[in-house]
Amino acid sequence: MSAISRDVPIMKEGSLRAPRIGLVKQIRSNLFGSKRDTLLTVVLGVVIAAAVYFAVDWLFVSAAAPWAPAESCAAVAGACWPFVVEKYRLILFGTYPYDEQWRSFLASVLLIAAVAVSMLPSFHNGRLAWLWGAVGIGFYVLMRGGYFGLDYVQPERWNGLPVLLMLAIFGLVFAFPVGVLLALARYQSQLPAIRAFAVLYIELVRGVPMIMVLFLGLFVLPLMMPEGITLSPLLTTMVALVFFHSAYFAESVRGGLQSVPRGQHEAADSQGLGYVQKTRLIILPQALQRSMPAIMNTVLGAYKDTSLVVIIGIHDIMATAKMAFSDPSWQHYGLEAYLLVGIWYLATCWCLSSYSRWLEARTS
Amino acid sequence: MPRRFPKSAVVWQGGFILLLVFALVLAVRNIDANLARAGISVSFDFLSSHAGFDINESLIPVSSESSYGEVLLAGAINTVVLSLICILGATFIGVVMGVLRASNHYLGVRLALVYIEVMRNLPKLLILLALFLAVINALPPVRQSWALHDMIFLSNRALYFPALEAGSGMRLLIVLACLWPVSIFVLGKVARRIQDASGTVYPVFWPVTGVLVAVVAASVLFGWADYPVSYPMLQGFDFQGGHRISIQFLVLAAALSIYHGGQVAELVRGAIEAVPNGQFEASRATGLSFLQMMRLVVLPQAVRIVVPPMGNQYLNITKNTSIALAVGYSDLVSVMTTSINQTFRPIELMTLSMGVYLVICLAVSFAVNAYNARVSSRGG
Repeated sequence: MSAISRDVPIMKEGSLRAPRIGLVKQIRSNLFGSKRDTLLTVVLGVVIAAAVYFAVDWLFVSAAAPWAPAESCAAVAGACWPFVVEKYRLILFGTYPYDEQWRSFLASVLLIAAVAVSMLPSFHNGRLAWLWGAVGIGFYVLMRGGYFGLDYVQPERWNGLPVLLMLAIFGLVFAFPVGVLLALARYQSQLPAIRAFAVLYIELVRGVPMIMVLFLGLFVLPLMMPEGITLSPLLTTMVALVFFHSAYFAESVRGGLQSVPRGQHEAADSQGLGYVQKTRLIILPQALQRSMPAIMNTVLGAYKDTSLVVIIGIHDIMATAKMAFSDPSWQHYGLEAYLLVGIWYLATCWCLSSYSRWLEARTS
Repeated sequence: MPRRFPKSAVVWQGGFILLLVFALVLAVRNIDANLARAGISVSFDFLSSHAGFDINESLIPVSSESSYGEVLLAGAINTVVLSLICILGATFIGVVMGVLRASNHYLGVRLALVYIEVMRNLPKLLILLALFLAVINALPPVRQSWALHDMIFLSNRALYFPALEAGSGMRLLIVLACLWPVSIFVLGKVARRIQDASGTVYPVFWPVTGVLVAVVAASVLFGWADYPVSYPMLQGFDFQGGHRISIQFLVLAAALSIYHGGQVAELVRGAIEAVPNGQFEASRATGLSFLQMMRLVVLPQAVRIVVPPMGNQYLNITKNTSIALAVGYSDLVSVMTTSINQTFRPIELMTLSMGVYLVICLAVSFAVNAYNARVSSRGG
């Protein structure tokens, strides 16, 4: 708390160099500079030491090693790593046919690779649309099968990682252009009816929880279809996600649109550019660049929130983790399964936020 | 001057509206046809019919005899209560962590940093489910509840504690609870006037609180008011008497407070760092203590910066309580889905629940805006 009680060493007369303080002294004055600092140090020190002690004990010291036999788990108080070794395929791919799980794996790798390629700034142009079209078809063919001698796998058995990636990534890929259109519709004043619709839509969607929108997709969307058309829950969930995320994208992009200087509009108008040309060539590129931090924030939040599809019965990795420890002989090891899921999210979210920081540093 | 729109604008919008109306009519016709095939039509009459399912906790009396309307109302109240508790919890954790993060205490900064980063990178549902699992595994079943002085019991089902029943003591407490903020406000004004006139500082908060506590203590000691208390007693498979708060509620409140605390902490840190350094130095120079400096100089300035994003955060908390369904707490969404499964009336029930969420969100954003207007208009 010594943001304020920083003790500034006095400069020696005649010296132009700031006096040096030793590391030990610096640490001592930081941690034990005042009574309040000392108290804080002691309290936090005890909390941190206890947390580290219990974590290390549970994770390593009193845990069953991954290579140990499964029976050894019953004897230990800590984590049971043989469980993770035994069940990792179930957690990653769920009930997808065991012998075909290489397809699930390949489909996941395809999506991750496509995301990695899309992150390269040199790809931020029209080529992305082609890339994602191809990736979508490739993913569908791999997962569903029925072509090229691949066995057909019904969508109910698509589980785990590929489902999470599919819903998160395709949901965002489709929601983004819709969000940009909504933002443009809200930002202009020439077409008040369209603008009113955009405002109503954005505010309505942002006023209700994501779960509600997912339930709308589950319960109401199928009712809107004519007789004879049945939608798979995966498809309705995807549609609901696109509806939901687009409203949030719209708000992030609107911030960027508002920050484009008036002069840019006027200059484009005086060049004789039409609305489409002006928006595509002058306004949007600047607006998108300015709203990049907000967009990446939305992406991160949306990716994490994709896990909520578990609640409406879609089996992403959180649900397959639950499957893994629903097995009666492994039922005490749920925390290990959730830890695995947590590490996945920590790693992927960290990549996303590092990318967003890098992008920001690059453009500024 | 009335604005004139070009012809193309009329065509575009006309086309758009036509398309929208067409899609809407199509959707409504399909819904009607699909519902007719299931033998029902859209109507809110079912709200007064017998629901037949019980919900695990409620502030209004609800039983398996209640109607759908009553059960939904109980769910909506649960959502509001859970939101309020989570907002308080997240604000508390967030302010503590945010101040630690903005300090330059080595341990404090690093602890807050790790906390904020972990919360930013984990989904809330994972935190909720992992915490729920850990708590359920760690706590004993009801019949072997952990007991504190045979008055407070904690099991993997609920927390049970003694409840004060209605009586003269309860009335006294309610009166004092109302008197407390009012008297602090009034006496605070008086004290400020004295301070402005003479420079003498009179404390207000602790003396007032002390007097009120003394009144309560005296009423207990001398028997001025009676305090009938019902204690939880184990009977059969559950406790009777006292109050109970379900484990689901406790875990939800904890998980959402911890999760959103990370986001609040970032807002608080940003706001504190936005207060110019000179303000800190000036308050040190006038000899204010740390707490005085925070309370009188830094926080009033930080609050102005933090209120608008904080309002947004409170709205998110309110909406995110809907993950209660994942652990089986009877919030609005959970009651709604049970009702949909029983009645197959998704249109009516979803419209109703979305309406409730919109009203709650409007109320929160109205309150935040009013507060914001008050805070930002007070002095330059």
